[in-house]
Amino acid sequence: MRKRPIATSDPHIQALARIVGEQAILYRKEDLMAYDCDGFTVHRHLPKAVVFPNSTEQVAAVVKYCHDHDLPFLARGAGTGLSGGAIPLNGEVVISLTRMKRLLHVDLENRRAVVEPGFVNLKLTNSVAHRGYYYAPDPSSQYCCTIGGNVAENAGGAHCLKYGVTTNHILGLEVVLPNGEVIEIGANGVPDPPGYDLLGLLTGSEGTLGIVTKITVRLLKNPEAKQTVLAYFDEVEDASQTVSDIISAGIVPAALEMMDQTAIEAVEAAAFPVGHPKDIAALLLIEVDGISAGIDEQIDDILTICRRHHVREVKVAQSEEERARWWANRKTGFGAMGAISPDYLVQDGVIPRSRLPEVLNEIANISRKYGLRIANIFHAGDGNLHPLVLFDASKPGETERALAAGSECLKACAAVGGSITGEHGVGIEKKEEMRFIFTDEEILAQTAIRDVFNPKNLLNAGKLFPTPGRCVETKTPSTVK
Amino acid sequence: MLSLTWIEELQAFLHPEQIKRNESFHPLGNDGAVAVYPRTEEEIAAVLRYADRHDKKVVIAGRGTKRGFGGQREQADILLSLEQYTGIVEHAAADMTVTVKAGTKFGDLQRALAPYRQKVALDPFWPEEATIGGVIAANDSGPKRLGYGSARDSVIGLRIVYPDGTIIRSGGKVVKNVAGYDMNKLFIGAMGTLGVLSEITLKLRPLPKYESVVLLSFPTGDVHDIRSFAVSFLDTMMEPVCFELLNPALSERLTGQPVYTLVIGFEDVENAVHYQEHWVERLRPKAVEMSILVGEEASAFWRTFYTAAPNGRLAMAENGVEAAVKIGVVNLDVLSILRESVLIADRCHVRIEAHGGLGHGLCQAYMHGGEEGVLTAIEELRQTAVRLGGYAIVKHLPLSLRQRVDVWGGKPAYFFLLEGIKRKIDPNKTVNDQRFIGGI
Repeated sequence: MRKRPIATSDPHIQALARIVGEQAILYRKEDLMAYDCDGFTVHRHLPKAVVFPNSTEQVAAVVKYCHDHDLPFLARGAGTGLSGGAIPLNGEVVISLTRMKRLLHVDLENRRAVVEPGFVNLKLTNSVAHRGYYYAPDPSSQYCCTIGGNVAENAGGAHCLKYGVTTNHILGLEVVLPNGEVIEIGANGVPDPPGYDLLGLLTGSEGTLGIVTKITVRLLKNPEAKQTVLAYFDEVEDASQTVSDIISAGIVPAALEMMDQTAIEAVEAAAFPVGHPKDIAALLLIEVDGISAGIDEQIDDILTICRRHHVREVKVAQSEEERARWWANRKTGFGAMGAISPDYLVQDGVIPRSRLPEVLNEIANISRKYGLRIANIFHAGDGNLHPLVLFDASKPGETERALAAGSECLKACAAVGGSITGEHGVGIEKKEEMRFIFTDEEILAQTAIRDVFNPKNLLNAGKLFPTPGRCVETKTPSTVK
Repeated sequence: MLSLTWIEELQAFLHPEQIKRNESFHPLGNDGAVAVYPRTEEEIAAVLRYADRHDKKVVIAGRGTKRGFGGQREQADILLSLEQYTGIVEHAAADMTVTVKAGTKFGDLQRALAPYRQKVALDPFWPEEATIGGVIAANDSGPKRLGYGSARDSVIGLRIVYPDGTIIRSGGKVVKNVAGYDMNKLFIGAMGTLGVLSEITLKLRPLPKYESVVLLSFPTGDVHDIRSFAVSFLDTMMEPVCFELLNPALSERLTGQPVYTLVIGFEDVENAVHYQEHWVERLRPKAVEMSILVGEEASAFWRTFYTAAPNGRLAMAENGVEAAVKIGVVNLDVLSILRESVLIADRCHVRIEAHGGLGHGLCQAYMHGGEEGVLTAIEELRQTAVRLGGYAIVKHLPLSLRQRVDVWGGKPAYFFLLEGIKRKIDPNKTVNDQRFIGGI
């Protein structure tokens, strides 16, 4: 934001500036460039303007103005989304919620907090850590991503294996509907508000049903004890089998992560190396937490299972510092690809975890077929794969090949009964891949719900759903009532 | 019966023994002029398609434990019972997921999973009679919701027969999935007003290696003592799967002691359970009596607990009526609700057995008494809940009284969205008409 008097004859810009203030709107091309994409950088499009409201009332007024004047609009948090959900495809008015970043209320006795949407995920945990509490969903971008964005995408993270994803931690929402009306669902964070579960529907709706302006979340007490294990394997198969056996032994790890050889090469070349051997096929990062009196027994079981599957080396973190290093190495894994490749594309398929070996094989085949390296860093415990397709955008045709390889990875996931996205969302990126798992009728069932909330389809249009198939009666928002 | 000749048309897609004419009226309502018992998804779809095209109203039922929950009709045209639509479709033990037909009894499902040391992490009332479909459609949950969450946390996929007979899938078979809208959520707790749940896919949890139930009896009846114990215990790093307070009337039935009793459940490896029991022991006020149930004693306690609620399958109460009310408030306000339940019971001359979770904020109150007393008690309990920023809904009540009290406690400001969703999916109001909030 910069302080410059409004110098445009565009009446919409002038009107929006009157709502949010002259210093809280961007409309010059050079200012808009930073908002032409989010964490998905393959598509870019300039917004009409970016506004920075500082209250629910301002958001509602901007939305109402856009609604009344048929201007497309969308909400944006920190812009860390990986599927293009915040890209202004239609030249939207971007409503940035980064100024609405207050922690409004903390109630530890009742284990909840109320935040504004621009509040950064990790700040919430940091705000209650001194009392031994935390906010569970921990996407890798948690140091900068906003909770409003987490709600829109139903963000996950490494620890959602045991504690669930964002939707499992949302107790209440204040929402500006696409016509500017403000509603409150789950007032006071009381569970099971009577009526259809709109909290559940809105969470993960990728900013297409409304704009969240206040969020009541559940806080958890820190586990009493936590142990982290690092295990190196010479065969991917052995690592996969270890994952299965840990789960079937009745252990619910807090996290169960895997990296393959290419991924290890990258993280070791990047900012947080921990000295993983470069010749291993896969590593597992396993964390168990809970009551201290029960942890050792679980760790013993895990070590036994690792050894049964020919682990080369397995170690338990000896200090919090060592544990933190292992996690920093893992959590910066995507960015680490930059150390070994000019560009990369991250995918987000989910499979039944028992199918891990065959799908990893299939991904290796796809890698060979397209002549592109694919690194795998993923949440093995819940079968959420992140194939990272490495490519060089400066080479003609390579971006297209990378996109096709990524899509084929998702097809492989869908083929074993999985899903095309576990936590990154559909956005623009995976719209067409929705057809891998849903029929046209099922997609229409979903867009019918969108029409209830967003009948003019001005809010974040062109996301999440593929363009309607030819063989089905196509409905446009204006013909559906 | 002349007016019911259309019933014969049902024989085009159902065997005669799957169709039963109904001659009597049930005092809980939600009945049908004819009851049908489909055994396949195609048959469910055929019944709905027929009804939707011929302007017939359908009431959906599992085994009828929730017949007294919502609804303004004595009789619809068709009662669609899922009690013959049962069985496990697929149990992927290594993936810890199960897909089950909606009419399967909850207890049968758990017994089928137990040899694999797995379970559905829900603890609904009347598990041996309620169907999994009914549990999900009514969003039923018990005290262990604290540890394991509720239906919305366990359901990962659904096959729904829409009112026009179309089959729509939501979610999938994997435990983590954000493809498209989270449509599962719409149907959980929708009271069957958006279609018939056909197949339900759930994520599973391992059976605990060891479990115990700690009972703390607070003899003074002073809820401040309970509150300060609860606050200090919940601030520790212990991980109870339930932290449920019983009012004296319910405690008398379950433990023989007519005092406020806190039920704290632990499920973990044995060492960890005992370790947590010691924490309770250390923190409990001196005057508070503590006992620990394990093994068969604990199972027996829970069996009695889960069958304390009224059940639509049982004969109606003699000498008065039964009611069940679910109250949602902010966690620790459960204490105020339970204290109020005692005062209201006295004022209205009804018996109220109540319990509520101090870690999740949901209470259940079971009433027995004269019609007017019960109605007044419901109203007073609701006023208390609303004053605390919560709500109260009536989960069980005879039809004649449901017509005199708003089961759902009024409409939220965003009711037009709920109505809009219903209109999109069931424009003819074919399924469970008037069963849900605001007459949806």
